[in-house]
Amino acid sequence: MRLFSGQSAWLLQRLSAILVLLLLLLGIVNLLAAPPGYDAWRALATSTHGAVLIIVGFIAVAVHAWIGTRDVVLDYVHVPALRIAILAVVGTLLLGVLTRVALTVATALAAA
Amino acid sequence: MRFRIYRFDPQTDQRPRMQDYDFTPGHHDRMLLDALIGLKRIDPGLSFRRSCREGVCGSDAMNINGRNGLACIHPLKDLREPVVLRPLPGFPVVRDLIVDMTQFFAHYHAIRPYLINDELPPERERLQSPAQRDKLDGLYECILCACCSGFCPSYWWNPDKFIGPAGLLQAYRFIADSRDKATSERLAFLDDVYRLYRCRSIMNCTEVCPKKLSPSHAIERIRSAMVRDSS
Repeated sequence: MRLFSGQSAWLLQRLSAILVLLLLLLGIVNLLAAPPGYDAWRALATSTHGAVLIIVGFIAVAVHAWIGTRDVVLDYVHVPALRIAILAVVGTLLLGVLTRVALTVATALAAA
Repeated sequence: MRFRIYRFDPQTDQRPRMQDYDFTPGHHDRMLLDALIGLKRIDPGLSFRRSCREGVCGSDAMNINGRNGLACIHPLKDLREPVVLRPLPGFPVVRDLIVDMTQFFAHYHAIRPYLINDELPPERERLQSPAQRDKLDGLYECILCACCSGFCPSYWWNPDKFIGPAGLLQAYRFIADSRDKATSERLAFLDDVYRLYRCRSIMNCTEVCPKKLSPSHAIERIRSAMVRDSS
């Protein structure tokens, strides 16, 4: 739990929120500007800029989700074993999502 | 006037109950505390703390119709009937409306509520400009009644680890004091996932403070002081 203690967690939570908001807006604007269809998504993922932004965006989401879940668990779950179990499951899921995103983007880039 | 008051005597009761009372306030009974004293004459077993009867000691903090407040400064005419009185939420009940304040005061002691200045003491006072003294306004007036901490959901979920709005307000009272030289240590102590950072800016504390103080504001100032101190 010392991973993000006190102030650093609070700051990271807000910074990652801003980052996610900005990237989300960027993504939406990008997709709305292009003609509707899968091509816009593919263009996003296969350009180097797009790929980096997608991965950075998901890292921000993962950090934000981890800190948020940990806060909720610390508030409501007081049994240590249960706490560790829930955090372990959430942590693994987030890592899984991140890996999946990275692999998808990487394969898309490689194929392009 | 109708009252519903939380009753629990650990020596005789298995569980708490709500007891109904009917009380006609006398000509001189203006505040809720007057009614409680009148009710105690009818039912001597009814227990509550009280002292100054003017809203400065904080003894008679309780949950009045769902909101925390001081009984001695709640006018009877402003109260919706039946007046539901409960002890401060989240605090262990000693008896009826009396709660155990040990944990609350332990948090207050933990933040070291005294001036820490190891420099050579001056001939007379440690001087402070009026501007520096103004920074303490809204902080020193806290009467430690626990209305705020007793209304804070984060304090309900973690009363043993979260310092609570009252403790944090007093912590800031010393961080903001120009005469105190232990600012970095105070901030380092508070920089913890539990001590300060259980606060989610719910702001129940500010809403319910009988002295109209703002623990939320003080906590926000502590957060910015921490960011400035660490960068």
